[in-house]
Amino acid sequence: MTISISPTMLRIEAMRQIRNPYTLAFTLGMPVAMYLLFGTSMGYGDLSAGHGNVKYYIMVSMAAYGAAVAMSSITSLAATEAKQGWGRQLAMTPLSTAGYAATKLITAVSFAALAVLIVFLAGLLTGAEASDAWRWWASAGIMLGLGMIFGLYGLGVGLFFNSDTAAALASISMTFFAFFGNVFMPLDGVMLDVARFTPLYGYVALSRWPLTDGALTTGQTDPLWMVVLNVVVWLLVFAALVSVGVKRSRSRR
Amino acid sequence: MTSASDTLAPSSTATEQVVVLEDLRRHYGLGERTVKAVDGLDLRIRRGEIVALLGPNGAGKTTTLDMLLGLIEPSSGAVAVFGEKASRAAASGRIAAVLQTGGLLSDLTVRETVEVIASLHGADALARVPDVLARADLDAIARRRIAKCSGGEQQRVKFALALVADPDILVLDEPTAGMDVTARRHFWDVMRADADAGRTIIFATHYLEEAEQFARRTVVMHRGRIVADAPTAQLRASLGGRSIAATLPTTGGDALVQEMRETDGIVDVHVDAGRVTLRAANSDAVASALLKAGAHDLEIAAPTLETAFTALTED
Repeated sequence: MTISISPTMLRIEAMRQIRNPYTLAFTLGMPVAMYLLFGTSMGYGDLSAGHGNVKYYIMVSMAAYGAAVAMSSITSLAATEAKQGWGRQLAMTPLSTAGYAATKLITAVSFAALAVLIVFLAGLLTGAEASDAWRWWASAGIMLGLGMIFGLYGLGVGLFFNSDTAAALASISMTFFAFFGNVFMPLDGVMLDVARFTPLYGYVALSRWPLTDGALTTGQTDPLWMVVLNVVVWLLVFAALVSVGVKRSRSRR
Repeated sequence: MTSASDTLAPSSTATEQVVVLEDLRRHYGLGERTVKAVDGLDLRIRRGEIVALLGPNGAGKTTTLDMLLGLIEPSSGAVAVFGEKASRAAASGRIAAVLQTGGLLSDLTVRETVEVIASLHGADALARVPDVLARADLDAIARRRIAKCSGGEQQRVKFALALVADPDILVLDEPTAGMDVTARRHFWDVMRADADAGRTIIFATHYLEEAEQFARRTVVMHRGRIVADAPTAQLRASLGGRSIAATLPTTGGDALVQEMRETDGIVDVHVDAGRVTLRAANSDAVASALLKAGAHDLEIAAPTLETAFTALTED
């Protein structure tokens, strides 16, 4: 089966995101602002860390956060609008569910890539360094690929919450996960133990892997199996959330 | 569904029956709480017909239209649109609708909304956008966000979405809800031109005068069933004649009223302030008798669909 996608729809979807204040603030503005604040204006930025410097470490953390927020906010919007009458309007066109999903996924991945690009550009201009060029690509690839997990999260949030607040809720909860997931600032002790169970921890740790090989700012090293397990478990949780949400929205009709 | 459309296809080509509903049922809920929204509906509509679907709230009109558009599946029975599955006819743009419950995206502009739906129907539909915006009277507000549009304006946007696929059948669920008088008149002018061009139009409405003025055929629904299906004029006429009112002459009025009361085919004779009102099957004869006897200020009115409607749906 070929999935047909309308270029007009893609263009208008992109326009909608650009006009959306939440997207601008949380997806494109906040990560780069956080990088500039924590990465470049502090004295420790040029200290070496793993295969690069601290600026690179912070840049990757913020870009990964931006990519995850882009995914979750766009998919949560998709779920709410499909549930509302717009889904009925689309049901009377040749657009299939797969085509709709593909359009939204392309939009989400594009904006995630844009969020990553902006932070990486800021990093390039302000002296973030890694020992090899491939580490940049590897970090970007990992965060865009694994970031789709948060597309599932956004979909689940969108299915459970009726209004447009679902998008804001998805973004705000991601910020919360970032604070308690060792993303924005390095955690230690009990906070770090708790962080290992939060959804962004494994994803961001893997995004940093090309730089750190699992080493933490505290001197400890996370084993690979542990961060992968974090990602897999949350993937399953989000998938379950979506499947319950789909059933719930079907039975309401 | 495939077996149903196979058996229905030949009959639809023979008499150009574009819509065939056979023993259509749709139930909601399970067990004792089952709601029979549509309960055994048979309906055939030919190309170029204008059909009004009339009924009180909860009669099953919207559920019927949803099944006609393939938005929900029937519990049992068959729907065929041009001999094929309803959802396929809707996807190919041969049947399109202005939905009562269909939502629009509030952050899109009017033009973007129409363009998105048009682009999904293909290049031809996309080329039709400027024309459709003009026909739906949306040119002036094409750049306005949907969130800033009034109810009537949003209704016109939905109308444009239905037109952009250039459908052979247009389904309208309460199409003029929220429109002011001018917009409503403009809407029906456009519709009339479409119908003359051979487009089949099926609409559900609460405005009885819209059915009277516009539909050549009226289907009355009540509790998920069809209680009447006839040409609109005939439906009106079948409801016990016209009503007549006249001012009685100053002398001999009482005798005249008495005479009317004793005549067969005259019912509901009332006198109020020297004016008699009655209903008669043969209104011409009664009018002439009244005038001969010296009555004046004669008025004859056909029964409205409202009276027909009340009579048909009363338990």
